[in-house]
Amino acid sequence: MTPGTTAARRGVLRWIERERVFKWLPFVPVQGLFTLLLLPNFLLLVYLSFVSWRITRGAWWDAAFAGLDTFRGALEDERFRWAVIRTFGFAAAAVPLELLLGFGLALLCRRHFRGRRIYTTVFLLPMMIVPAVVGYDLSMLLIDQGPFNQLLSLLTGRTITVRWLSDYTAAQLAVIGADVWQWTALTFLVFTAGMAGLPEEPIRAARVMGASRWQVFWHVELPLLKPVIAIAVILRSMEALKIFDYPMLLTQGGPGNATETVAVYLWRVGWEFARVSDAAAMSLILLLVVAMYIVVAIRVLRRERRRLAEEGLA
Amino acid sequence: MRRRSLFAPVRHALLLGWLAVTLFPIYWMLMTSFKHPAEWVTWPPRWLPHEPTLDNYVKVLTPGTSTFELGRQTLKILKPLWDSLLVASVGALVAVALGSAVAYSWSRFRTGGRNYPYNILSIRMVPPIVIAVPFVVYFVTLRLLDTYTGLILVYVATCLPYVIWMMLGFIDEVPLELERAARLMGASRLRVLGSVVLPLTASGLVVTFLFVFILNWSELLLALALTNTEVSTIPIQLNKFQSANEGRDYGPQAAIGTIATLPVVVLGFLIQKHLLRGFSFGLLRK
Repeated sequence: MTPGTTAARRGVLRWIERERVFKWLPFVPVQGLFTLLLLPNFLLLVYLSFVSWRITRGAWWDAAFAGLDTFRGALEDERFRWAVIRTFGFAAAAVPLELLLGFGLALLCRRHFRGRRIYTTVFLLPMMIVPAVVGYDLSMLLIDQGPFNQLLSLLTGRTITVRWLSDYTAAQLAVIGADVWQWTALTFLVFTAGMAGLPEEPIRAARVMGASRWQVFWHVELPLLKPVIAIAVILRSMEALKIFDYPMLLTQGGPGNATETVAVYLWRVGWEFARVSDAAAMSLILLLVVAMYIVVAIRVLRRERRRLAEEGLA
Repeated sequence: MRRRSLFAPVRHALLLGWLAVTLFPIYWMLMTSFKHPAEWVTWPPRWLPHEPTLDNYVKVLTPGTSTFELGRQTLKILKPLWDSLLVASVGALVAVALGSAVAYSWSRFRTGGRNYPYNILSIRMVPPIVIAVPFVVYFVTLRLLDTYTGLILVYVATCLPYVIWMMLGFIDEVPLELERAARLMGASRLRVLGSVVLPLTASGLVVTFLFVFILNWSELLLALALTNTEVSTIPIQLNKFQSANEGRDYGPQAAIGTIATLPVVVLGFLIQKHLLRGFSFGLLRK
């Protein structure tokens, strides 16, 4: 190496060692990436929703200004409104089920007993499977003469022929079932870890003071589990609003619109119908709805984290 | 205790019930992948393949002629497998490299302000479908649609919040005193990073990498939106199958499902103890 390059190298190293440079350097690529990817996207989203443009209509920058027409169209679109309601409905059905099942299973697996490891290992399996594979696998199990109906028939002793994928209500149950099957694993994991991390002193103290098992659970353990419950609720409700993979692979949103979630409908509008501007306006409306939710979720996360930090346990 | 004797069988009954619910779909897919066509749908249901066969795997994995007709579509499996592997791992690798540096900087200097990790997290909470539409238009304009670079860039961005949060947990566990001592003895910042922080967080880096790799490997919506014919991941391929046929070719389907699942399950179990870190955002007592 020539003396010149070593000097230059030393100069660069010295430059990096300065605190200001050292701490901000990693932010350059990360913030750069976010800015380059997300900012133009957001602007484009807003722009597209104020013009009327379809993929087939020339370049997007030449599109005609449409003002609020696309928004009016989106708000008047009954199918969109129902897709939103349906998505929240699916979340409202699946998330509490996942929370209760996960919590119950974690309680049952709390203390040591023979076979505990096998149970906990198997219970975690579903969350490691690709969601698309789950949809795909269930679509195979749930056909009319398929294994699931056969199994139900064997268990009940009668011939069961629920048309899981072509009956309106049954298909909705199938999508909710897929979500519950896969993500109870996550709530189970969260609650198991939460219970394992419970501090022993307050529980022992309550026991010594004569509290019953139930009282300890209700008045001591449950309040201590609040942050864990908060994580589980936030994680699951956030994800449940994104449901896309299961309806796509199970029923493609059908029968009719039975399992058409917001994500699936927006997909249809944007890709199948190629109504890009309409899809953009709907995306923007959806973003507003979700933004309120995100603000609340983040606030809860911060509050719980601060509380943990104050306890000095985090 | 009197109660326990009664409780134990009830507990096992309940746990066995959920065990069966969990295992049934997995078991069925695995078994179907080894079955001959005649056994895919039978009455009474056949729990074990009569003559186990690898035909389904051979059919979907044969190189060169790795195509087979399904309805109108000709589907390849090796290429999507390779694409998935490439996109998921490169995306995860870049995200871990960039994100852990940011996490270190924030952990030690609070760079970007107290709220930085939360701001990053809130970006991640936005449903991907919201940005999917403008993303396509944007990527077409930049000529990034249907390219590896485009999809990898997007995966890096979606992984970063998880990487930053997970690595914050690991980095906070490195004792500050060690770093201070090293600094006092004259080590440069980079030296501290390389000789103190890196060795102590190495396992954390691996865990984080595997975690976001799994996320990328499983992602469907953005991959579907941002690719076309040149790039195709496993979830996309599964989706194509599903819309192309009405679910007739169960054996090969099950084989593909098994192939897509296996690596993730193995990786998942490798990081089982740390799986929660990616989801807990620092809200768990240790």
